[in-house]
Amino acid sequence: MRQYAIEASGGCQCGAVRYHTTAAMDNAHICHCRMCQKAVGNFFAALVGVPKDALTWTRGEPATFRSSANVERGFCARCGTPLFYNDVTSKRIALTIGSFDNPELFPPQAQDGIEGRLPFFDSLHEIETETTTEQESEAWAAAIKASSNQHPDRDTAAWPPQGGHHA
Amino acid sequence: MSEALTGGCQCGAVRFRAGRLGRGSLCHCRMCQKQFGHFYAPFVTSFEVTWTRGQPKWFRSSNLAERGFCADCGTPLVYHELGGEYELAIGAFDNPVAAAPVIQVNPADKLPFADDLPELPTRMPGDSPKQDAFNARVVSYQHPDHDTAVWPVEQQP
Repeated sequence: MRQYAIEASGGCQCGAVRYHTTAAMDNAHICHCRMCQKAVGNFFAALVGVPKDALTWTRGEPATFRSSANVERGFCARCGTPLFYNDVTSKRIALTIGSFDNPELFPPQAQDGIEGRLPFFDSLHEIETETTTEQESEAWAAAIKASSNQHPDRDTAAWPPQGGHHA
Repeated sequence: MSEALTGGCQCGAVRFRAGRLGRGSLCHCRMCQKQFGHFYAPFVTSFEVTWTRGQPKWFRSSNLAERGFCADCGTPLVYHELGGEYELAIGAFDNPVAAAPVIQVNPADKLPFADDLPELPTRMPGDSPKQDAFNARVVSYQHPDHDTAVWPVEQQP
């Protein structure tokens, strides 16, 4: 595993918790284990390690759940976005790739926790694709875009914007 | 695994039961990615949903929808178009196999590597002695994959 320099920010859906890292590990991966599945409500977790001394919480603080003796899982207490897996004994922390502003920076290189891999995982890419919401329902997509309370995929000086969130 | 259409969050503070399930889907849109901190969201349309322990906390992600999660442990649980049915997170079910997705939606935001995941090399038990030793020491505080009469049990800190 190799550490490399990078400037990358990310955070939760609502923007109450934001982070920035100046380094990452070349270990982007997905984990199928049942604990990772439950932590993220998904088929697997997608994670990339960063050195703890390279990571700054630039807005807010994550909440944590101690999922086992030495591991805590971080999330935003306001909107719930899963943010990390933290082995408290390690010098590294694993951030959820999807919470980065640019998740495409971290293509996964391996899969772990194979004992928990779901039987339909291998064929997910083969299932039918529906037209986009933009194509199918222009008005619906426009309404969401106009009213989205999601933090943009970049750092912001102040958040939420003037006028606040939609109730 | 449970046959019932039950599930909940990692810590067990929020549990749900569905009467029946509709279509399972993967949504690639950026809002779903952020809700799950993930490449996509796995949802299944769920009918006759009851919250059998606790309640989700809600984030109003737009004027048209809200998204629910466990306030204690963060597990993403549900997408809810106001006035519509619940879309429950497939990974939160006790038996996710009961809700296999059959369609992908919003491919415009699909991540470039999303289709190639099954081809990734696998790391199996035995490949990493350090990881195996770590796994052997884990005492999970995760709620089991079935309903429980009392939770948490006393082993937790």
